[in-house]
Amino acid sequence: MKAAESSFADRLLGRVRLSGLLSLAAPVVAILFAALITSIVLLATGAPPLDTLVIMGEYGVQPRSIVLTLNSATTFYLAAIAVAIGFRMNLFNIGVDGQYRLAALISAAVGGAVVLPGPLHTVLVILVAMLVGAGWASIAALLKVKRGVSEVISTIMLNAIATALGSWLLNKERLAVEVAGSNNIGTKPIAESGRVPGLALIPGTEAKVFGLLFLAIAVGVGYHVLLNRTRFGFDLRATGQSETAAVASGVNVKKMIVIAMLLSGAAAGLIGMPQLLGASYSYSLDFPTGLGFTGIAIALLGRNHPVGIAFGALLWAFLDTSSSILQLHEIAPELVAIMQGTIVLSVIVAYELVHRYQVVAGQRRVSKELASGTPPQGEGASA
Amino acid sequence: MEEAVISTSTPAVELEGITKRFPGVVANRDISMSVQQGHVHAIVGENGAGKSTLMKILYGMQRPDEGEIRVNGTAVGFRSPADAITAGIGMVHQHFMLADNLTVLENVILGSEPRRAGVAIDFGAARKRIRTISDTYGLGIDPDAMVEDLGVGARQRVEILKVLYRGARILILDEPTAVLVPQEVEELFGNLRELVREGLTIIFISHKLDEVLSVADAITVIRRGTTVASVDPKDVTARQLAELMVGTELPSPETRESTVTDVVALSVRDLSVHSADGRRLVDGVGFDIRKGEVLGIAGVEGNGQAELVEAIMGMRAADGEIRLGEEDISAWPTLRRREAGIGYIPEDRHRHGLLLEAPLWENRILGHQTRRPNVKGPWIDRTGAREDTRRIVTEYDVRTPGIDVDAAALSGGNQQKLIVGREMSGDPVFLIASHPTRGVDVGAQAAIWDHLRAARAAGLAVLLISADLDELIGLSDTLKVILRGRIVADVDPRDVTPERLGSAMTGAGGAA
Amino acid sequence: MLQNRLGKLAATALAGSMLMGAAACGGSEEPATTASPGAGTGSAAPAATGPKVGLAYDIGGRGDQSFNDAAAAGLDKAKTELGLADTKELEAGNGETEAAKEERLRLLAQGGFNPIIAVGFAYSGPVKKVATEFPDVKFAIVDDEAAQGPNISNLVFAEHEGSFLVGAAAALKSEKNHVAFVGGVRTPLIDKFQAGFTAGAKAVKADIKVDADYLSEPPDFSGFNDPAKGKTMAEGMLDGGADVIYHAAGGSGGGVFEAVKAANAKAIGVDSDQAKTAAPELQSVIMTSMIKKVDVAVFEFLKAAAAGSAKAGPTVYDLKAGGVDYSTTGGQVDDIKSKLDEYKQKIADGEITVPSKTS
Repeated sequence: MKAAESSFADRLLGRVRLSGLLSLAAPVVAILFAALITSIVLLATGAPPLDTLVIMGEYGVQPRSIVLTLNSATTFYLAAIAVAIGFRMNLFNIGVDGQYRLAALISAAVGGAVVLPGPLHTVLVILVAMLVGAGWASIAALLKVKRGVSEVISTIMLNAIATALGSWLLNKERLAVEVAGSNNIGTKPIAESGRVPGLALIPGTEAKVFGLLFLAIAVGVGYHVLLNRTRFGFDLRATGQSETAAVASGVNVKKMIVIAMLLSGAAAGLIGMPQLLGASYSYSLDFPTGLGFTGIAIALLGRNHPVGIAFGALLWAFLDTSSSILQLHEIAPELVAIMQGTIVLSVIVAYELVHRYQVVAGQRRVSKELASGTPPQGEGASA
Repeated sequence: MEEAVISTSTPAVELEGITKRFPGVVANRDISMSVQQGHVHAIVGENGAGKSTLMKILYGMQRPDEGEIRVNGTAVGFRSPADAITAGIGMVHQHFMLADNLTVLENVILGSEPRRAGVAIDFGAARKRIRTISDTYGLGIDPDAMVEDLGVGARQRVEILKVLYRGARILILDEPTAVLVPQEVEELFGNLRELVREGLTIIFISHKLDEVLSVADAITVIRRGTTVASVDPKDVTARQLAELMVGTELPSPETRESTVTDVVALSVRDLSVHSADGRRLVDGVGFDIRKGEVLGIAGVEGNGQAELVEAIMGMRAADGEIRLGEEDISAWPTLRRREAGIGYIPEDRHRHGLLLEAPLWENRILGHQTRRPNVKGPWIDRTGAREDTRRIVTEYDVRTPGIDVDAAALSGGNQQKLIVGREMSGDPVFLIASHPTRGVDVGAQAAIWDHLRAARAAGLAVLLISADLDELIGLSDTLKVILRGRIVADVDPRDVTPERLGSAMTGAGGAA
Repeated sequence: MLQNRLGKLAATALAGSMLMGAAACGGSEEPATTASPGAGTGSAAPAATGPKVGLAYDIGGRGDQSFNDAAAAGLDKAKTELGLADTKELEAGNGETEAAKEERLRLLAQGGFNPIIAVGFAYSGPVKKVATEFPDVKFAIVDDEAAQGPNISNLVFAEHEGSFLVGAAAALKSEKNHVAFVGGVRTPLIDKFQAGFTAGAKAVKADIKVDADYLSEPPDFSGFNDPAKGKTMAEGMLDGGADVIYHAAGGSGGGVFEAVKAANAKAIGVDSDQAKTAAPELQSVIMTSMIKKVDVAVFEFLKAAAAGSAKAGPTVYDLKAGGVDYSTTGGQVDDIKSKLDEYKQKIADGEITVPSKTS
């Protein structure tokens, strides 16, 4: 049976599909399980679980919270898609974090240095970010293809290098300007022409949703189409499912590695864009960090599926947003991190359980349907 | 142990009226059989006949809906494999469950570590016991060897040892020869005879009839989930046994008249493949295959056949010249070779032929992802691919409820039929058929042979590699023998016997 | 008891949200409306005697043994001396966005907390934004002058002046004519410490050697909380010949002290009087500390706010105002005290201008 079974990693990364209702059952089971664990933690720390959830829920549905959640989710979604592109092909691009930080810094500097008419300015910043992200990712891709260096190792190293390079660049002598009267330094703010205005999508609040929410949606649609409707996507998924079979079918795996890594890096370049063009307009010391790792968790949560990731990103963002209200009620905000962690773990466990059930069920179904048609030649049930 | 008090005439295992239903299908129906102590008892049947379900029931992995199991005369009701192990039943799975980076000793005691003073693992005692078992049954296992350094045969003996270590007196071996080369099969059979001589009982599941006949003391045939015959191997031939399994007259691989033309489809000259450490795995091989010709390559496995195939497919770097028709394709990548009309039925369909967790219609695209009807430009043509998958399913009799089920849900024979159908699509001019009927049941085997014959008659050139000598002799127009990477003999398939071919394969002398 | 409080707070939050909803229905979100009911409840509640104070920390929060703790000390003092009704302390999460900081301030403002103190420059943008939304709420921000507004007080310090004094002390005490500076993270703020320290040392001995290095580079802020790295760097400087080390590295300072103790050299603490607050076995190596009186600033702001006289705009806590100073605990600088006080006077008088940047 060994060869016929997918590896645990395949299932973990969603290269193995679950069909129909089962694909819904797993996350529901996982969230219930996570809620249970969280309740236990809450009880152990002396806070009433139900009240806590009610507080989070009530806060979470306020218009302003919804906007905050949507805005965080936009960023998380892009991060998770960047990670998922690699995951679908068995590439662990741990370097999304460094790629987006470097991309945001350089594109912010470029955007601050020029003034172009309206949309052109925005497009330039986004293109520069994608190029920088892809360029930084290409180092890991080339190391893997030419020298066989595991992309896990190289991207972790490149994250550290990106941090150092970033702080070297974020200096008054290079890309940064001092923010007057503050202890902060950042790139020169991007002029009005390059900014992406927010949208008043949610009634009842003045807070605006990132205009680049639509970029995230477009990226999600593009990801889905690329993966499922194109030859390239087929080759990518085939390589992820079985590299040996892909090679035998004529896929040039090295080429695929390079392209997938570049795509992942380009998507990573987009991660900082909603924040940069929609809120802070400059890359400074307090630009959000660690989004690449959040992206990994959400990609796992959403099983690399564009819709699954959207739900994962929204859930994650909701939890993040509601952590502020917990502090006000004297509940440790770390609780949210615990919830997020347990949800990811539970999803992995739940999918594993559901997958096992599905394998058996699938074989039964085949034998059942065959039995009802032709006499049971015996396909399947005992295999 | 307690079997000392049980009389030897009591059967080691008795099954009576075992029935196991899965929703909508009966996997086992009214199975009854009796296994004598000290016997190698073979259970034969086609793939999917219900052998494995039966063994899972006997090993406690599944519970029967009806019927009774008696072990050494006592009725048992296993709830888990642990119960079966306690009752002295052990199972050696088809695929090994060993951790490569541990030693034999560590693998064997994993999960049942002997404790000293309740805490520390008593490696000394375990090592001594493994040595004793290995010596008693002639397994020749060094407890301190790393599993990753062991060959397939040795790993299998480690699995057997593991089961014996846990006190099993009745061993179930599920298709143990599927992964072994002929010499290793012989060794395994030697070990099995040693085990029964020491009083153990072996239940041996297989669909390889020659092997069953050579090793078994008793044979039970299963067809469509039920026992159809219990025979003495001395009284039956392989052919009779096969007919019992299938329930009908058997097909034969023979091709009738020659369809060989004088147009060379594939020409290979001085082809060499080197291993990473510089050894020549394929050494100056050359041959021509004409349209309508089947060229068979005979050889003991591991003599360069796999590398030869991969070199022709462009999956492995090689020196020498490969021409497809007029074109020199030596420098082409795999994709271009496939596009030029090379079909490929791989030796290991799970590794090289299928995406197991993808639906059938996506598997139809695999290897043909640049050609119609699967794609339109850079886009996947879902409709086209799905329609053509339905065509293959119908034409090649792939038994499946639909084209949206995962390839993994099909039985081996149906997976193989799908691959054959796929590789025959797109008008190939040359086909590599590597062990095309390996692990496939008799019905599917006949169908695949028919398709190969039909394609040959239509002018396809075929390179056939097989370990089944009857298949090689029956299908090939020309036969070459490969040994240590070199072609060592040409054989005329019309006047060679499997025995003579077999001795040529081991280099015992030219058979031509 | 917690249950009680939760219930009460939930009710408050709910009321706030309902009010917000009502405001939204009215077509515009008038921040003043949302802010006032909180203040109203504060004065109406029978138990409340003084204002409700909100404090938003940056990463680390109360218990970081440094900057945040100093702010907390000011709050604690105000609590006992001014009889505050209710205080709430919130802290930032790692790598969060400005939006999250904004939301934190906004929640406090909506919850009726007034005044609200933001600790750390990272709150600059958020304070500015939220202060315009809640014009009736008084805000204060520590270490930042960029966020200006009619209801924002900027509490800033002349760290370079304090550092000048300890730099002079280091030069006076160095036997090898070689001192060193360990910075936590290379930010403009820490650069101020380095600039003042170097200037102070050179003022005493023009030819003195001053080594300076940083534990991490932004956006990696681990240098403020990595004692092991601090120890390694200090050891390197001691091996290189330095015999007095000044650190401005938050929690990493403990490592610096350990290295200094092992080498039998001298160390200078930062922010608070570390000869009192450091681990007892290390206190003896700390000859003095550059004290940055965040607690005083916080307390004074709260006091002024309670009296309704909080001043908008920057309040510079410099040497003259007693916002920064050097400590004398342990008596190790008693012999040079007169010289240091002379420098102190000259700076206060404007006779010496201390540079606030290294370059």
